[in-house]
Amino acid sequence: MGKEECKTMLDALNKVTACYRHLVIALGSTSDSQNLREELKKTRKKAQELAVANRTKLTTLLKDKTISKDDRAEYERLWVLFSSSMELLEVDMKRSLEIGQDFPLKVPTRHLIQTGMTGSTNAVAARAMSVQNMKYEADSNIDTADLRDLQTEITQVSQMMEEMEMKVQVAPWAVVAKQEAGAELKSNMSVGNSSVGVISICEEEPKDDEGGGGREGGSGSIGAVVVFFVIVAVALVLGYLVVNM
Amino acid sequence: MTIRNALRDHGQRYRPRMACLKKVEKVLLEMQDPCTGVKSQPQRLVITIIPHAITGEDIIAWLADRFQIDAQEARSFGSMLVALGYIYPLQDHKRLVIKPDASLYRFQTPYFWPTQQWPVEDTDYAIYLAKRNIRKKGILELHEQEQYNHLHKWMNHKWDFVVMQAKEQYRAAKERKKPDRVVFDCQERAYWVVHRPPPGTVSAMDYGLDRRTDPNTDEVTGESPHDLLVKYSATYSGHDPFLSKCLPSSPWLTDDTTYWTMNMSNVEIPTKMRVERWTFSFKELLSDPRGRDDFRLFLKKEFSGENLAFWEGCEDLKWGTAVTMREKAEQIYKTFLARGAPRWINIDGKTMEITVKGLKHPHRYVLDAAQTHIYMLMKKDSYGRYLKSPVFKETLKKAICPEEHKFKNRRPSLSPIIIRQQEQEQRAKMAANAPVDITQVMSKLSKQGKEMGPRHSK
Repeated sequence: MGKEECKTMLDALNKVTACYRHLVIALGSTSDSQNLREELKKTRKKAQELAVANRTKLTTLLKDKTISKDDRAEYERLWVLFSSSMELLEVDMKRSLEIGQDFPLKVPTRHLIQTGMTGSTNAVAARAMSVQNMKYEADSNIDTADLRDLQTEITQVSQMMEEMEMKVQVAPWAVVAKQEAGAELKSNMSVGNSSVGVISICEEEPKDDEGGGGREGGSGSIGAVVVFFVIVAVALVLGYLVVNM
Repeated sequence: MTIRNALRDHGQRYRPRMACLKKVEKVLLEMQDPCTGVKSQPQRLVITIIPHAITGEDIIAWLADRFQIDAQEARSFGSMLVALGYIYPLQDHKRLVIKPDASLYRFQTPYFWPTQQWPVEDTDYAIYLAKRNIRKKGILELHEQEQYNHLHKWMNHKWDFVVMQAKEQYRAAKERKKPDRVVFDCQERAYWVVHRPPPGTVSAMDYGLDRRTDPNTDEVTGESPHDLLVKYSATYSGHDPFLSKCLPSSPWLTDDTTYWTMNMSNVEIPTKMRVERWTFSFKELLSDPRGRDDFRLFLKKEFSGENLAFWEGCEDLKWGTAVTMREKAEQIYKTFLARGAPRWINIDGKTMEITVKGLKHPHRYVLDAAQTHIYMLMKKDSYGRYLKSPVFKETLKKAICPEEHKFKNRRPSLSPIIIRQQEQEQRAKMAANAPVDITQVMSKLSKQGKEMGPRHSK
């Protein structure tokens, strides 16, 4: 079924776009490294492959005049999803070129910005590439060598987007979204304790609105203290009994 | 920056008062130097330690030292850095100022810098709000909730994308280690405090209207508009009737319209100032009708008059009525562009191809490419020769320099104060002498009339 295939491909493109954005945000900061540049390159290439595949699929579907009105509305919705993803990707690619040029890695007088981020981004890249671990095999001057490829790829993407606009007559503003406001809350993702802990750390002012987060963290620590005292009491009782025996 | 954002940038966003951003970035890079930059310390949160936190007093001290300024000025400079979004506060994140104490700050990642090329997109803000919604489980701040609803309404067609992307970005962020996650959240939040400030705060990003061109350079000549303005002012200040004396006299001051009659478009002999203006630029020459006539005469002598005629035809097409456009375009084609045309103009093959193709469906600007080509041809070639030609030299010799108005023939008009005084004196005189009784005056007048009457009827 063409629709399902389209949807899975769009989901994949969406995932890669999100991961690419995370990687570009780390550029120029202290978590920038040769590995990051290689991750960017690989993610970008994957994104482009997905983009081309999506585009061919969607254009064939939309050019088909025999589809029903509902189908066409659905394909137009998917088209808007696709073009929005591509716009985001294009902007991120251009920004990565700009920042990559401004922050070459090998020049000792160019310091990276001390943003506080020091960890590596290989987990994000692995998520984008849908692999378990990333393998790094590029040369050590990838930061400069990749920029030329990046420029050609940016022009390719821009051309593709212009062609897309010309060939397919879709009015994006006429598409009605399926998700209503607040739809992101209805997902089945676990917003567990770890992220709650993150909130209470980030908001450091006393009169913030993290009452809920604070309370949960507080009760957790109170529970730990109670357990500790219980253990100490049990140890004391046992010790008393041993001494008396 | 080799690839400009002009390709899909339909808004031509150039921000006039943000030319300082490039300079700030240089300062920021200096601050990163491990030896001479700002000293950083690790920030201790409950169990995590995050490096690269800097105190407000360190920043101010470094700025005062680097620029040799006093503490007050360093403090306002520091506040500007925070307000623009290059440094963000870790405590009290909504107030974008620098506090000269031990309160902590951190540098913002280059992606979130407020650079001139990249406008802040509402799509990104929608995705951020959706992510925040996920994290805070639906409890957003009031202004954020309002913005969310507003964006949901007008960006509705993209909303599926916003939700999908928000979820994916949220999941991707979880892949990083805890300290990096905290830093990323703080960074993103700081970015949006700068660019979508909460209500009641003043934003440093308020720069007024966007400009059409890059305020840092002139795209053609590479000069800054400041230099161009200075040059223009210096050249034209002598020719401006407001700034310097105009000969013979300004008609608004002396009621003498000689200045206008001497500078009319079809005058035989132009004034010296006018002829001098033709030497400033080719555009000046063409825009003055008398100058254009002179140029036309010169081109006639050189047998290259068709260029100017073509240019004038194009102008006519551009500014004419829509009804006459088609026939005008055809006329121009027949006269100038067709093979074997009577006044064939010499333009390169590519431009000719584009023009002929465009003429199949003519519109107002179809001849723009050819017109520009001919304009540049005339400017680079004929204009220079014109300025050295005998035609121009003759005109320059004959040009008159009118004498200054001597105020000789001008009737001296009385000042209104004196006129009013005279009126008052006259009124006083009349009041003192003449009879106030109107009936006596009327009878006097009627008597006079009767006397006049018989005489007239004869």
